Amino acid sequence: MIIAGYLFLCIGTVVAQATLSAMLSINEIYPDLCLVLVCIIGFFTNEYKGLMIGLTMGLFQDLLAPGGIGLNMILKGLAGTLAGLTTHTISTVTLSAVVLITLALSLGCGLASLIVAYPDLIGPEAFHAIVGTLVPQSLYHSVLAAGIFLGTHKARKAFGMVHSGQGIR
Amino acid sequence: MAMILEGPLHVVSAIQNSIGNTWAHYVALQEVWEENQRLREEVQRLQGEQNQLREQAILAREFQELSLYQATAPMTTIPARIIGRNVSNWYQAIVIDKGESDGIRGEMGVITNAGVVGRVIRVNQTTAIVLLLSDPNVAITGMIQTSRDEGIIQGTPQGNIHMKYLPPLSPVQVGDAVVTSGLTDDFPRGLHIGHIQQVTKAATDLFQSGEVTPIVDFSKLEGVLVITSFRPVITDESPSSSASLPAPEHAP
Repeated sequence: MIIAGYLFLCIGTVVAQATLSAMLSINEIYPDLCLVLVCIIGFFTNEYKGLMIGLTMGLFQDLLAPGGIGLNMILKGLAGTLAGLTTHTISTVTLSAVVLITLALSLGCGLASLIVAYPDLIGPEAFHAIVGTLVPQSLYHSVLAAGIFLGTHKARKAFGMVHSGQGIR
Repeated sequence: MAMILEGPLHVVSAIQNSIGNTWAHYVALQEVWEENQRLREEVQRLQGEQNQLREQAILAREFQELSLYQATAPMTTIPARIIGRNVSNWYQAIVIDKGESDGIRGEMGVITNAGVVGRVIRVNQTTAIVLLLSDPNVAITGMIQTSRDEGIIQGTPQGNIHMKYLPPLSPVQVGDAVVTSGLTDDFPRGLHIGHIQQVTKAATDLFQSGEVTPIVDFSKLEGVLVITSFRPVITDESPSSSASLPAPEHAP
């Protein structure tokens, strides 16, 4: 049942990414909803679930992306694992940790995607792609992750799933 | 004696009538309120329906234009609807609702009645991914319509379109129309790509280059035509070949 739920979440997120990302775009900056959700799942669960959901979501995303199958799978799996690992190394996942880790993971994944998509990109065009697209997109991901984190955290607290002083795990 | 009762009787009757009227009005008002609610819901439903019909009419008009173009264009095309876009942030791409089962193959050209959209890059069973002309991974051959000078049309990571390798002495000017040259197998000659917006040539450059404003607004696309095969457009430049040889059928 839980696996079916996660599978439904993966499919739903990829479909939402394909159909709603234009609505969520700010100044031609499109959010990668899959990356944000993989990070959030990593924070709230553990590195294994982060890895599995990251791989699945990345595979679905690759099926609808122009690049070959594998890039998103690897990047999302890695992002989910690293997001999950931080919940072990950082005892309490705070809002600032979520923002910073999402920012770092988004920058890393974005840079890897950029290199794979445009291997010949150099000079001013590369600079423009990084400053004009990669950095704003990563900041956008951080804000989205922070919003989802706060919303989920409050909901969990309201339903008594979090004991104050113990963090979210 | 009866007059003693008449006064109170009239008063009580008046009060009774008043209460009766008030009650009747209240009940009536209640009914009016309920009817009002019903009508409001009806209005909302009809507004929703009207909006849907308007949307369907717009789509039908767009697809009618496409099918009219499809009927007259010198090529075989398959109409497709756009069901997704920009799945990955680093590609300018759209997802269409036709795939391998509908006869779509990789590298096929994609157009609208206005002009060139892009190229099919990946085909699934019932969907296909189309890279837009504004993506750096797409390059097609184009030419300036007036001077017939040829160059390569390629996108940039910023989503713009450049025309590269234009001859250094080409009299290209801002506003010149750019069309496909037909040298590649995916697009026939003469399809509109856009207009030259800016021409650049440094003193040390071997070629001129220009920035092209696409004729198709990629952000508002809803339907496209996928070119499955075409006959090369016979131009005045090759009258002898057209007279002696039948035009071969090209399949990208």
